[in-house]
Amino acid sequence: MAEIEIRNLGIDYRKPNSDEVFAAVDDISLSIAAGEFVSIVGSSGCGKSTLLLSVAGLVKIARGTITIGGRPVSGPGPDRAVVFQDASLLPWRTVLGNVRFGLEMQRWTGGDLTERAMSMIKLVGLARFADYHPHQLSGGMRQRVNIARALAVDPQVLLMDEPFGALDAQTREIMGGELLRIWEGDKKTALFVTHDIDEAIFLSDKVVVMGRNPGHIKEVIAIDLPRPRTQEILDTPQFTEYRRRLRAHLAADMAGMHFMEEAA
Amino acid sequence: MITDVFMRRQALILGTMSFIIIGVLWQLVVDFGIVNPFFISTPSAVWQELLVQLQDGSLLVNTAATLYSFALALGLAVVVGIGLGVLAGWFRDAEAALEPFIWFKYSAPTVAFYPLFVAWLGYGTPTIVAIAFLFALTPIYANTLSGIKNVDRDLKRVATSFGARPHDIFFRIALPGAVPVIVAGLRLGVGRALTGVVVAELFGANAGLGYSIAYYAQMLQTSRMMVPIVTVILLGVILTQALSYIEKRTEAWRVVHDN
Ligand SMILES: Nc1ncnc2c1ncn2[C@@H]1O[C@H](COP(=O)(O)OP(=O)(O)OP(=O)(O)O)[C@@H](O)[C@H]1O
Ligand SMILES: [Mg+2]
Repeated sequence: MAEIEIRNLGIDYRKPNSDEVFAAVDDISLSIAAGEFVSIVGSSGCGKSTLLLSVAGLVKIARGTITIGGRPVSGPGPDRAVVFQDASLLPWRTVLGNVRFGLEMQRWTGGDLTERAMSMIKLVGLARFADYHPHQLSGGMRQRVNIARALAVDPQVLLMDEPFGALDAQTREIMGGELLRIWEGDKKTALFVTHDIDEAIFLSDKVVVMGRNPGHIKEVIAIDLPRPRTQEILDTPQFTEYRRRLRAHLAADMAGMHFMEEAA
Repeated sequence: MITDVFMRRQALILGTMSFIIIGVLWQLVVDFGIVNPFFISTPSAVWQELLVQLQDGSLLVNTAATLYSFALALGLAVVVGIGLGVLAGWFRDAEAALEPFIWFKYSAPTVAFYPLFVAWLGYGTPTIVAIAFLFALTPIYANTLSGIKNVDRDLKRVATSFGARPHDIFFRIALPGAVPVIVAGLRLGVGRALTGVVVAELFGANAGLGYSIAYYAQMLQTSRMMVPIVTVILLGVILTQALSYIEKRTEAWRVVHDN
């Protein structure tokens, strides 16, 4: 386990077809304790993915610092694994081959790769499908493989960018429950981007609300609900109250956007 | 699956039927004196000639000669086309260095170089192979280049996130990801290599189907000439179908996105 410390982070992107840069996120400070499950919500384009990718070491840090377990982030590392929004499986590899892929890239030395991959495939409930190719799986199954591939390398930090974004509401709920079950097994530090407020509350210890232009943190809401959590929790008054607060925040952001469009 | 098989059978039946109808029409327009057989011969006369050319062994000799040149040309084009395509797809500088040749190759008709090749290599197999090689090279090179160059960005990022090094990305992502596109290039290349061989043989050779076509054409023997023509068409169909089959099997390798 490792804690994540983000200090005054700024990420710049180049504007399309020009040399000008703009800040996608700016002055972000956030502390995540080891073993904590933190969700990031915010309107589209506010920089959620950018923040996640910077922790993954996949985008260049322009300002500020990120440290994980005290070590500054300067690129991808075996202490972190990413679950991307698009399952991004290798179409020419089977489920087993795909889960092995991360282990192969990391030159895993913690034992037999196939055994390790198989145990992760069992964990996400796909043991019967180990020999299937991605095009023979449903979207939900592909996301399970995506998650198993990340878990296989046994990262201290699990970074997830809307992993259930392409799934229908019901599958999404089931996957959320399963993700929690898996996470409660060994409590990795988790950073989870989502559009879905209920999903964020249900999963998290903390929900980070981001605003836009440039992406910044508006508020961090601690979710004080008992674990392990089950679907029943969705109907409790505390849950409803968290939902109300988060909705209000996001609605304000949307109203701001609307106002800006009119001004423009 | 069932509808699939059914559709395939239906397509086969329809295809065969239209083929037979055209054959019958062909025979009829000559039999009824609508078209002079000198221009198009008749199916029955072609069949007679086919048997003759099979028996005297000339069809076999010519087909073998054509296939020999074809195999050499295609083999060369595959090695050079995939080799250069991979190089240019992976290294920007290599692509830039090769670009002028490719533009040249696209815009200039390859056959125009025929006399030059004759001057260098003489009449016969080397010149035929050289022309067919150039015919087949472009699609194989171009497809390999785009297959390698357009390596899927998401897969690349996944690999990078797991600590992949450049050679991992090349061998584990770019190369396998390019296979369907390269195979599609091969299918085009096969057809063009065959065309190249036949065209070059028309101009100057002492064996081969193209040579045979030109030979009988000079003798104004339409029925005899039809035999190598039909053989070439048959070869083309078989080779292209075989590649289409392989292409379908690599189709599952194409990257699919959920979003
Ligand atoms: N590679 C890039 N180059 C240039 N600009 C980018 C790049 N990636 C993202 N951006 C821009 O940075 C901003 C933040 O993008 P980001 O993808 O982080 O948003 P997001 O909150 O994840 O949005 P969504 O919810 O739609 O996924 C957007 O304005 C986007 O257009
Ligand atoms: Mg995003």
